[in-house]
Amino acid sequence: MTARGTPSRFLQSVLHNGVGRYVCQLKRISLIFSKKGQGSLGVRDFIEEGVVDFAKNNSGTVVYISPQSCRIPKIVAEYLNGNVKEETVTNKTSQEIAELITKLSNQSGLDIIRIRKPFHTDSPSIQGQWHPFTNRPLSIDPVGPQAK
Amino acid sequence: MKYGTTFSFCWSGGSKLLLYHYSHVEVKFIKCFFKMSSFSRSAQQWATFARSWFLIDARMQPPGKIASMCSVRLQGKHKPIYHPLSDIGDHVVVMNTRHIAFSGNKWEQKVYSSHTGYPGSFKQLTAAQMHKKDPTAIIKLAVYGMLPKNLTRRTMMQRLHLFPDDVLPEDILKNLTEELPQPREIPRKLSEYTQEERNAFPMLWTPA
Repeated sequence: MTARGTPSRFLQSVLHNGVGRYVCQLKRISLIFSKKGQGSLGVRDFIEEGVVDFAKNNSGTVVYISPQSCRIPKIVAEYLNGNVKEETVTNKTSQEIAELITKLSNQSGLDIIRIRKPFHTDSPSIQGQWHPFTNRPLSIDPVGPQAK
Repeated sequence: MKYGTTFSFCWSGGSKLLLYHYSHVEVKFIKCFFKMSSFSRSAQQWATFARSWFLIDARMQPPGKIASMCSVRLQGKHKPIYHPLSDIGDHVVVMNTRHIAFSGNKWEQKVYSSHTGYPGSFKQLTAAQMHKKDPTAIIKLAVYGMLPKNLTRRTMMQRLHLFPDDVLPEDILKNLTEELPQPREIPRKLSEYTQEERNAFPMLWTPA
């Protein structure tokens, strides 16, 4: 679709995250997989090797492991602003899943849509934005032929 | 309140500018310019893109110089936020167009030609004849020729207001913000010099 037809947003950070302390925006990550299906092989390998280290490194994120009888394994990431992102991880290797999870933890929860401008500033003008009377003296007297 | 708001979307350098145009800047608004830092975003936008009204007195002035001043302000080239697509020009009111002063013999020598397209309809008028027929036509044609030759020219011409004498309608008088200085210094007639100045003028020799 065109840029006008799809949603778009301006560049922003969640509550100036990083200016003071950095708060990881990933609230909860749930690994849904099946104990016996072959699509969940990568997920099971990742749970054996990498998930405990990930949970230790990201103490602000809650990790849920839920084995269910499901055909397709999923990773559901929930963010602090309420956005939920679901990714299917069928037939992915453990390495790929690890990369995917680090990518999800580095994201803020803002929508992945077209960003209108790649820059944003809270102070767009230092000396003061121009207006018609910046370098023009004001005349309180009425202007016109009768003034002469 | 004399505001007329028109909203127009313009593309400028790849990004959209939402322009709010207001027909003039009120005196009350002018007084609160002294505290610019306290403006909200929308009020700051309103201030930056406000359209002003200028007044020019064309008495004893060359019409070409008047027209170039008008065209600069009608295009918005006097503003640092100028962009040709932004529709950022101001209104210009020219009074006393009946009393313009061509230099040289242009009143008799300058010819305004027109042709409607039909055979036999080629008309040529000297500047003097044109001025007698319509006292605002000379400045109007001069400004029209100085504006950029694109579709925005007609809109800019609508913002030019010409008056043959110094009688202006009341609603235009209320909108004016600034009178621009005249481009040509009017030379004084001999009768306008005082006797002291005439005596103080240096004489090479006195006719004895």
